[in-house]
Amino acid sequence: MSERIESTLFLVGVNHTTAPIDVRERLAIPVSRLADATRTLVHQPGVREAMILSTCNRVELLTVYDGVDTPTFLRFLHDYLNLAPAAVEPHLYQFREREAVRHLFRVASSLDSMVVGEPQILGQVKESYTIAREVGAISSTESVRSVLDPLLQRAFSVAKKVRTETQIGSSTVSIASVAAELARKIFGSLSGKTILLVGAGKMSDLAARHLIQQGATTLLVSNRTEARAEKIADSLRTPTITTGVIPFAQLHEQSHRADIVITSTGSGQIFSAEQARTLLQRRRNKPVFFIDIAVPRDVAPEINKLEGCFVYDIDDLQQIAAQNQASRSREAEAAETIITEEVARYNARTTEASNVDAIRQLHQSAEALRQQELARTASRLASEPLSPAQQAAIEALTKSLTAKLIHSQLSNLREAPRSSDDIVKRDE
Amino acid sequence: MSLLWLRLAVILYGIAALAVLPAALYNRPRWRHLAMPAALGGAFFHFVSLAETLAAAHHALPVDTHETLSLLGLILAAAFLLLAARYKTVSFGIFLLPIAALLTLVPAFRPGHELLTYPFIRTGWLMLHIALLLIAYAALFLSLIASLLYLVQERRLKNKTAPRRSWLPPLETIDQIALKSLLFGLPCMTAGLLIGSVVALDTIGPSFFADPKVLLSVAMWIAYIAMIFIRRHSGLRGRRAVYLSGFVFLVVLAVWSANQLSAVHRFTTP
Repeated sequence: MSERIESTLFLVGVNHTTAPIDVRERLAIPVSRLADATRTLVHQPGVREAMILSTCNRVELLTVYDGVDTPTFLRFLHDYLNLAPAAVEPHLYQFREREAVRHLFRVASSLDSMVVGEPQILGQVKESYTIAREVGAISSTESVRSVLDPLLQRAFSVAKKVRTETQIGSSTVSIASVAAELARKIFGSLSGKTILLVGAGKMSDLAARHLIQQGATTLLVSNRTEARAEKIADSLRTPTITTGVIPFAQLHEQSHRADIVITSTGSGQIFSAEQARTLLQRRRNKPVFFIDIAVPRDVAPEINKLEGCFVYDIDDLQQIAAQNQASRSREAEAAETIITEEVARYNARTTEASNVDAIRQLHQSAEALRQQELARTASRLASEPLSPAQQAAIEALTKSLTAKLIHSQLSNLREAPRSSDDIVKRDE
Repeated sequence: MSLLWLRLAVILYGIAALAVLPAALYNRPRWRHLAMPAALGGAFFHFVSLAETLAAAHHALPVDTHETLSLLGLILAAAFLLLAARYKTVSFGIFLLPIAALLTLVPAFRPGHELLTYPFIRTGWLMLHIALLLIAYAALFLSLIASLLYLVQERRLKNKTAPRRSWLPPLETIDQIALKSLLFGLPCMTAGLLIGSVVALDTIGPSFFADPKVLLSVAMWIAYIAMIFIRRHSGLRGRRAVYLSGFVFLVVLAVWSANQLSAVHRFTTP
């Protein structure tokens, strides 16, 4: 007869809200070591299944272990990462069963991310899952029923549902990505577009990189110090990106070559309305997008009134980013409702499945006991064998007795799915 | 039977026209999945109905206003499907699908009973003449819608609202649609007018050129070419492009209404 063993779903970890970066970076496990770390974790005493999620904002250990006592895994962290428990313990959070399921669903759906709605986290969870399966830390055989495998599959489905049924990931929230999004609204594909970077600054550099990532193929740089312009052009040059330097004195003669102009000099107005008109004429009225990151502004605001010119300064970009952030927060509320429903559904299914197993086991035990007693009675009556009619009567009597004896237990198990969702049980 | 197909087409266009609103305005993909098959189904049944009607009644020639409007409706529905396939946008459906449904509604429920006054021998050429001109009109109408949408998108971008909710394609894409539809319409209009002229010369004689509709058509062709020239060479966009397209569209409407004065274009008896 198979032995029933209780196993518990347990999640322990740190994230950007509970641990400062110096703790997170000491805990972080690079992808190259993730397989080895997962293998080590699953070999810890009592651990049946395990997965490690390690990103720049979180490190989490998701395990299924025997028994219901709470393990600490501090020893694993100490042994594997050479970290003193005291340095980590204050920053750890722990979730069991239903709360662990909820947390996992929230993480996969990017509701627990630093930038809510960012799409990378789902890929990172999938990668961790793949590694855990490869090293055998998540059971994939038919004989041993896995807890983590269906749980993670469900987490991926929930994340997809959240993304399709809410608009949580549809808006950009950083200045650079807002600028790139606006450029796409003007030009569609940025393939073949030319960016002109006027001045040098971290944010303008970041915006240019974002636009290049979106497909822009030519980058022109103009700076009062030509050597600095050349340095920037060199740093952004790749085999697919053509870069060039425009001497600052020739900026207005050559700026019509650019579809997107990013300015960050902060030295007063570089582009006046009159200069923008000339630029438009040279471009035969083709649209031009000014991204003015400088304070004071480099681009005259009235240029935005010219047909074909679009001027966004730092305040405009920040305002859109803030609007998008607020919009994401609203969508996050809708996503939380989906998560709550999905957690309840998952728990109901899990409990129901485990109860089906328990019912089957109860039937089997009762039947085995009945057969045993029948055999004993038959051996006692070996000298006076029963007639077929008597045998049938005894058979019916024992079946009826067994059914009545286990009836109350069966009823309890059948009613249990909605009430007991704390313990995940499985048979071996 | 053809009427049944046409009525089915109207219903499908109606469904597509309603579904395209949430699909485009609220960016709801589920509605897009309803709008596209409905529009495709509508265009299919419309084509079947029109082919059956024309083949049975007039040797493949749309002779009355109802049939011509119906053909124009089919061309507009096809234009929507082409744009959706090429530019992955359903925004144009907000305008094109209701118009296609309306143009088809009257022929579907009050079919024309006009008959040819005299038999034409070159019905194939006449069909081509009508179809090419209707395609040119549809292209011009599409260009006008695109110019209007350009204006809306430009305003939105200048007002600096969050771009997330925008239901319109990028500005440059709208501009491309406006210009490409004009460039596509020009050869259709030129060929349509040339075919019509040759057929009229053959059947009526040189006097056809004095017909008011013919004269207006030549004016329309010149205006069409002028508009393309101006748009291409000065990069005309935005408000002025809308005015220009609007003006040429008015000329087209004048040409259309000149049917009442045209002796050359009277093929039927009511």
